[in-house]
Amino acid sequence: MNNEIITATFRKQFPGGAEIVVENVCIGGGITVLFGASGSGKTTVLRCLAGLETPDEGEIKFGGEVWFRKSGKRKAKGEDIFLPPRKRGIGFVPQDYALFPHLTVAGNVCYGLNELPAAERAARVLETLNWLGLDGLEHRLPRELSGGQQQRVALARAVVRRPKLLLLDEPLAALDTPTRLRLRGELRQLLRQLGLPTILVTHDRFEALALGDDVVVLHDGRNVQQGAVPEVFSRPVNLAVAEITAVETIQSGQILETRDGLATVAVGDARLIALAGDLPPAAREVYVCIRAEDVILMRADSVQSSPRNRLAATVLALVREGSLVRVNLDCGFPLTALLTQPACEELALQEGTQLVALVKAPQIHLIPFTR
Amino acid sequence: MKLLIISIFAGAALLFVVQTNIHAATVTVFAAVSLTDSLKQIAADYEKTSGDKIVFNFAASGTLARQIEAGAPADIFFAADESKTDALEKKGLLASGTRKSLLGNMLVIVTTPDAVAVHVPADLTNAAIQHIALGDVKIVPAGTYAKVYLEKIGVWPAVESKVVPCVSVRAVLAAVESGNVDAGFVYKTDAAISKKVKVAFEVPAADAPNISYPLALLKDAPQPDAAKNFMAFLDSETATAVFKQFGFIVLSSAPAK
Amino acid sequence: MSGAEWQLVGFSLRMALASLLLVLPVGLALAWWLARKHWRGKAVVETLVSLPLVLPPVVTGLVLLQLFGRRGPVGSWLHNIFNCDVVFTWRAVVIALAAMSLPLFVRAARTAFEEVDVKFEQLARTLGAGEWRVFFTITLPLAKRGVLAGTLLAFARALGEFGATIMVAGNIPGRTTTLPVAIYAAVQNGEDAHAWTLAGVSAVIAFAAVFVSENLLRRRK
Repeated sequence: MNNEIITATFRKQFPGGAEIVVENVCIGGGITVLFGASGSGKTTVLRCLAGLETPDEGEIKFGGEVWFRKSGKRKAKGEDIFLPPRKRGIGFVPQDYALFPHLTVAGNVCYGLNELPAAERAARVLETLNWLGLDGLEHRLPRELSGGQQQRVALARAVVRRPKLLLLDEPLAALDTPTRLRLRGELRQLLRQLGLPTILVTHDRFEALALGDDVVVLHDGRNVQQGAVPEVFSRPVNLAVAEITAVETIQSGQILETRDGLATVAVGDARLIALAGDLPPAAREVYVCIRAEDVILMRADSVQSSPRNRLAATVLALVREGSLVRVNLDCGFPLTALLTQPACEELALQEGTQLVALVKAPQIHLIPFTR
Repeated sequence: MKLLIISIFAGAALLFVVQTNIHAATVTVFAAVSLTDSLKQIAADYEKTSGDKIVFNFAASGTLARQIEAGAPADIFFAADESKTDALEKKGLLASGTRKSLLGNMLVIVTTPDAVAVHVPADLTNAAIQHIALGDVKIVPAGTYAKVYLEKIGVWPAVESKVVPCVSVRAVLAAVESGNVDAGFVYKTDAAISKKVKVAFEVPAADAPNISYPLALLKDAPQPDAAKNFMAFLDSETATAVFKQFGFIVLSSAPAK
Repeated sequence: MSGAEWQLVGFSLRMALASLLLVLPVGLALAWWLARKHWRGKAVVETLVSLPLVLPPVVTGLVLLQLFGRRGPVGSWLHNIFNCDVVFTWRAVVIALAAMSLPLFVRAARTAFEEVDVKFEQLARTLGAGEWRVFFTITLPLAKRGVLAGTLLAFARALGEFGATIMVAGNIPGRTTTLPVAIYAAVQNGEDAHAWTLAGVSAVIAFAAVFVSENLLRRRK
C-alpha cells in the first residue's frame, strides 16, 4: 500500500489572500482520506488533482505520467504541462453529485462510455447498476431519486469507466445523519470491493477513521501530516493536527523526569507517565493529548490493572451523543472520556461521582510546545 | 428646477409653432428629383430679389403626389410627368387654370466607365448585364418612360427580370454610380450632373415617350400669392436660361419635336 | 388575400428561415464565448454585437452596402471569383435579416448558457467528453428553452426587418421584396387596402412568435 501513485507539490493563490501550499504529498494505492476542517482547502486540492482547477505553479504526477507542471519562472514556460481531465482517466464524484438533470439514470451512467460499442455499453451499465443495487431505476430522472440513490448513481457513473483513480468529495455530506451512518459502512465495502486507488475528502473524523487506509491532514491550505489513519490519529505531529483530528483532551504539562524511555509529566495536579518517544531531550513544556476513547473508567479502586496511569476522577458533566456519552472529569486536570450508554449506566455515573480513570502510557501523546 | 423644465418645454413648443421669417412668405415647392440642381439655383436668385423664401421637397413625382393627397402642406407641384398631375387634378387638389407644361427632357442609358459596354438598347439583353436600374414604375416617371420605350422597341420581355426598381431617378443614378448595377435609365439632365457615369445611349426623341414637366399651383396652398409670383419667375427668361444650361428642353420656347 | 400576397408572405418566411441558418451557428458560438470565456477586449465584442439593436437599421444597411457592394471588400471578392452578386439579390435580404436579428439571439442564448451550471460541464469533462461533446450533450440541452426563445425572437425580428433590407436589397417584387418592404411600397403607391392586409399578416405572425417565446422564457426549468 505504500507504493506511491500520486505525488503532488503545488501552490494556488486565491483573491483575498488565502493560499494553498501542498508539499510532497504522496498518495499510494488504497483509500486515502484528505482530512481537514471546512475551508482547509481539501476540495480545492482534490479538484486540482482532477484537473478541474489549475494551481499557479507546481507539479502533479500520477504513476510516471505528469498531469500538471507549471514553473513560476517565465523562462520555463515551454515545459508547462496540463493534462485535461478527460485524459486523466479519473472518476469524480462531487459533493452534490452533479447528476445530469436532463438524462436518466442509465443516460448518466453510460455518459462516460462513449468510446465503447453500444452493446458493450449497455452491458457495462446494467452490470454497474446491478452491483450498486440500482436495478429498476434505469429510466428514472435524477430528481426522482432519494439522496442515497443519487449518491450511488454518481458513484456508478464514476466507476463504470474503470478509472485509474477515484476522487470523492465529501461523499456522505449531502445525506441526512441516519442515512449517512448507514451508508458509511456500505461505502466502505463498495470501495474495498472496487479496489481502485481512491482519494476521499471529508471533515468528519469518524468517516476518515471508518473509510480511510491513509490520511493526509490539511490545515489552512497546507498539508501538515500524512500516513496511515490509525497512526496519524493517535500520534498527531503537532497541536494543529491534534486539534483537527479532535483529540478531546489537550492540556499543557511539564516534563519532570525522563527515564528508560518513559517521561513523567505534571499536568495540573496530576502526574502522568507517557512514552518519551522522540521528544527532544531538553523538552520541558509539552501539550498532553489523550483521546476520549482511550480513557477507561472504573469504580473499584483496588483492582490491579496494566495502565500506568490511575487517576482519581470526579464526574463534572455527562453529555449524551446518540448512543455514546461524553464524560467530562476532573482528575487534577480536565479529562474527557467517551463511554457507551450501557457502560455509563453500569457505572451509575452522575455529576459528582468519584471513580478511577485509567490511561495507558502509550496512549498519551506528548507534543512539545512550538514557540 | 421645475421652472427650468417648464421653460425648456415652453421654448421648444414655441419653436415648433412660430415661423422663422415673419415678414416674408415661405413658398413650399414639391418638385421632381430631376429638377433638384436647377431649381435650387433658380430659387437662390429669386430669394435675393423677392425677399421670399423657397423651401423644396424633392422626391419621385409619385411619392410627392401621395404626400399631397395625404394632406402635406405645399404650394406648388412640379412633376416629371403629366399622369401624376392628372391624378391630383381629378381629385380636385389643383388650383384651376394654373397648370402649365414647362419643360421636356431626354432619356438616356448610363453605365460606369468600367462596366460592360452598352451601345444600343439591345445590348441590355446581354447575359453579362445582370442588373438594370429603373425608377419604380409606380411612382417614378423616368421609370415609366423607360419601360414604355423598352416595350416599344420590343426589348422589355428580355430585360424585365433584370430590373432593379429604385425610389427615384436620382436613386437610379446612385445605383449605377455605386457599381452595384450594370446600367440604368435616367434623364440626360441627371447624367450631366454626375461625373461618375457616362451616357451609353441617348434615346432618340422620335422613339421616346413624350416627356413633359407640368407645373401647377395647389388649391390649398398656404401662400398662393407668393407662390404665383414664383411660378411666374420660373417661366421667365432668367429661369429658362438656367434650365437650358442644365440641359432641359424648355417647352414654351422650343418647337414641339 | 391574393395569390401574389401569399407568395410574398411565403418569400418573407423563407428568407427569415434562411437568415436563421446564418444566425444560429454564428450566434451560438458568440453566445458561448461571451458566456464562458473572458479575454481582454471582451467588452468591445459585446458592444459590437449589440450595436445593430441600437443603431438606426439604415446605418447597419449602409455598412452592409459598403461591405457587400460590388466595389466593397467582400462583394468585389464574391463578384470577381464566383461571379456572385449580393446587393439587390435575395442574398442581401438574408444577410440583412441575419445582421439585424443576431444581437437578439445572442443576448437570449448567452443568458441561457450563463444559467447552465458549469459543474455539469466540468463533470462531463472528467467522464472523457471533449469540448464539442460537452457543448452539444450538456450545455445546449440544458439551455434549450432560452436558446429556443432566442431563435423565435430572431425569427420575428427578421420577419419585421425593413431599414437595412431596403438599403441593401431594394424592392424588387418577387426577388427581394419582403413583407415590411411591400407594406411601405404599398403605402407609397396609395394601395391602402393591400397595405393593411399585409400589415395584418405581419402582426399575426409577430404576435405568435413573441407569445410563444415569452412563454418559453417564463417556464424555464
